[in-house]
Amino acid sequence: MNFMGNNKEILLVYREMTALSLTHPVNIMLTPQFYTMKKEVLAIRYHYQAKKIAPSIFEGLLNREQSYEYFVFKEKKAWVFIAYNPEEIKHFLETKGIPLSLVSKLFFAQQAQEKFMEPVAVNQTKVLTTIDGVVVLLPRTLLSDSRNITTFDTHFVPSSGISLSNNHLLIGKKEALIFTTLFSLFAGLFFIEGWWYSQNLTAQQREKQALLAHYPGLQSSLQRESILNKYRTIDHRERQKRETIKKLASMIFKGVALREYHMDEKHFKLMLNCNSTEIAEKVYFMATQSHFKVIRSQKSPAIVIEGNL
Amino acid sequence: MTLNHYKNELFVVLSCLIMCLAFFYKETRLSLQEEQLSSIKREMKEVKKIVALKRVWADGHLSQKIDRLQSVVPTSKVKWQKRGKKITASYQDLTSKELNKVMTKLMNLPLQITSLNIVKKDKNYTMECQCKW
Repeated sequence: MNFMGNNKEILLVYREMTALSLTHPVNIMLTPQFYTMKKEVLAIRYHYQAKKIAPSIFEGLLNREQSYEYFVFKEKKAWVFIAYNPEEIKHFLETKGIPLSLVSKLFFAQQAQEKFMEPVAVNQTKVLTTIDGVVVLLPRTLLSDSRNITTFDTHFVPSSGISLSNNHLLIGKKEALIFTTLFSLFAGLFFIEGWWYSQNLTAQQREKQALLAHYPGLQSSLQRESILNKYRTIDHRERQKRETIKKLASMIFKGVALREYHMDEKHFKLMLNCNSTEIAEKVYFMATQSHFKVIRSQKSPAIVIEGNL
Repeated sequence: MTLNHYKNELFVVLSCLIMCLAFFYKETRLSLQEEQLSSIKREMKEVKKIVALKRVWADGHLSQKIDRLQSVVPTSKVKWQKRGKKITASYQDLTSKELNKVMTKLMNLPLQITSLNIVKKDKNYTMECQCKW
């Protein structure tokens, strides 16, 4: 899969070219007809500094009514400044049947000046060639017959080019850089946080290991569950028995005498003798409040309380 | 049209995708950590609970502590039978005060009461209990 589009067909674009009907993406090299070039030896170190001063280099040379963009590159010791009108180029390409959507990259002939040392045929009448380090378009008749004329092909493609801004319909370069940086930063933070979470358990695991080492019999979860169930059942039952006894004991007060009490693993039965019906009434009330089954005869002062455990 | 045309968009989408992946990785790790942490806590709670329950219901010194049930009332009133981890205690002619004493003692010992019978005879009580541990 061709991601960068550098192996694509390259078209040499000039004013007199015939219209095409393109169906596949192409790279384009512009002849000097589409740009203005200046070469200067300046005491500038960085590319961004050169790009910053590019408009001032062309002061008074360009048509003020048109808007220009600048392309700068270094050629040995000199800086090469190229001014071009993107709108004009776009318009020209469209009139020649080259849709902008099929244009991958634009290059300037000056970028490949070393490769134009030998004249390159543009059409039947014109050639591109380098004179004094500048790529120019010349009539073929100006060349002597002995000069060897080569043809234009992909080996003329320079390492860097420009993209027409219309190709990036959604996001510009600056915004893309900001978003990419931001997203990458968050991605990094999320990864670090995730890694931190995976490392954070060691303290608890160590504590658990220490506890289990103290009780080796409880290392198996099945064994633990079985032992826990056993003792939980015992604990629950015995607490219930004691709670019941406590509740029943609270029903034995002045005027109430215990006659008989029976309790086994599942049931209990308590027989009480009450001195008066009022006291019996009170005991009855207390027993029903505790959800016990109460058997009481109206004439007898005896009360039988029973229930399940 | 090649992907080169949408280079900027591609970078943004890719970085966004990587961010989403990193976010899901973080979330997965977090939920995994919470899951493991709760599992560790549950296991430790289980162990501690077993230890606590065993300390109460499987006390190694319980056998000696049980003997207090015998000494709480005059020995003439007690019939004591201890076999392995089971006891059968029969109390005769207990006053209500003595009955209360025995019951309080019984309630406070971590014994499993399998059977308890109290019957009033005249003014005194007879009590029989069977316990195990």
